[in-house]
Amino acid sequence: MTDPEMDSYVEWIAREARRPVAVDPMAVQRVMAAVRAEAKPRRRGATWRWFLEPRPLSLSPAVGTALAAGLVGIGAFFGILRTDRGGQLDPTGRIEFVADSQPPFSDSVRTITFVLVAPHAATVSVVGDFNNWDAKATPMTRTPTGGRWSVNVPLRAGRHVYAFVLNGANGIQWVADPAAPLAPEDGLGAPNSVVLVGGSAS
Amino acid sequence: MSEDAADVQRVLSGDVDAYAKLVDRYYDRCARFAIRMLGNRDDAEDALQATFLRAYRALGRYQERDRFSAWLYRILVNQCRSIAARRSHRDRVFVREEALLLNAPDKRPTWTGEDEEFVQRVLNELDPLLREAFLLKYVEELSYEEMSALTGAGVSALKMRVKRACDRLRERWERIRDD
Repeated sequence: MTDPEMDSYVEWIAREARRPVAVDPMAVQRVMAAVRAEAKPRRRGATWRWFLEPRPLSLSPAVGTALAAGLVGIGAFFGILRTDRGGQLDPTGRIEFVADSQPPFSDSVRTITFVLVAPHAATVSVVGDFNNWDAKATPMTRTPTGGRWSVNVPLRAGRHVYAFVLNGANGIQWVADPAAPLAPEDGLGAPNSVVLVGGSAS
Repeated sequence: MSEDAADVQRVLSGDVDAYAKLVDRYYDRCARFAIRMLGNRDDAEDALQATFLRAYRALGRYQERDRFSAWLYRILVNQCRSIAARRSHRDRVFVREEALLLNAPDKRPTWTGEDEEFVQRVLNELDPLLREAFLLKYVEELSYEEMSALTGAGVSALKMRVKRACDRLRERWERIRDD
C-alpha cells in the first residue's frame, strides 16, 4: 500500500474493519415490513409533469379572458405568500434576520426563502432533511450585484433541520444559518440550523 | 440502465418487492458501516431501518445520474449522525466507562484473539468525526471527492481527519506495544 498514512498496524485495523459483519437474517424482513406499511413513493414532479405537458386546448375568447384574470390573481397570491427567511454574514458581526411569518399555503406547505450572504463563495446550496442532505439538490442563486444567495423551497409544516454548503477558495464548507436557531449538537461538529414551518422557531 | 436504476424504476411503478432487492444488495455493506460507526448493533439496526425507510420515501427524488449506492450512503451517514446525537448522553457515559477500561492495565502483548471486538474498541476511541472519515476512506474505500459529497466537508478537512485518525491509531498501537 502506497498511502503514507498506512503502516502495518493501521492497515491491519482497516483490514479487520472491512470484514463483513454478522447480520440478523430477520433484519431485512423487518425493513421490508416497515416499508410495506408506507405509502408507495411517487416520482418527483409526476403531478407537475402532467400539468406541464403540452396538450391542445380550445377556449372561447370569453373563457380565455376569465382564465387570464384568474391566473393574475393566483400570481398575486403566490407573491404575497413568499416571505424572506435567512440572514447574512455581516463583517460587523451584526446579523440581519427577517422573521418567518408566512400565511398558510395549501396543505400546510409553505414556500420558504433561504438567504445567505457569502460574497466569496463560488456556489452555495441548501441541504436539509427535506432534500436528504443532497448538496446538488437545491442550489442557491446569486444576485447579479452582490454576494447574496437565495432559493425558494416549498416545505411542509413542521420542524426542518438544514445547513448551507459553500464552495469557495477554502473548498467545501458546511455552515449553519447565522440567522436561525441552531439544531442540537449532533456530536460530529457539523452545525445545523432549525426552521419551524407553521410556527415560530425556538 | 444499471441494475439499481432498473429496480428503482420498478418500485416507482408500484412493485414494492423490487425494493427488497435493493435492500438485500446493500444491507450488509451499510450494516458494516453503521456498526463500525456507532459501536453497537442496536443503534446500528435503528440507523439501518431509518435509512432504508427514508430512502424508500424519498425514492421519487432519486436522480438516475447519481449512483444509487452514493445516494443511499449519504442518507446512512446522516442517520448515523442523528442517532449519535440523539444518544449522545448515553454515549458519553459509554465512552467514560470505556476509557476506564482502556486505562486499566492491558497486558496483552498483541491483539490475538477477539479481533473484531478489539478493532471495534479501538475505533470507538476515535472522535466520531475522525472515525467517520477513517471508515469512509479505508473501510468503504471511497475517494476524498466521494467523501466530500457524502459529508459536506471539504477535501482538505477530510484528509486532515483521516491523518489524525491514523495518528491516534498508531499512538494506541505504541501504547500496547510498550506495555
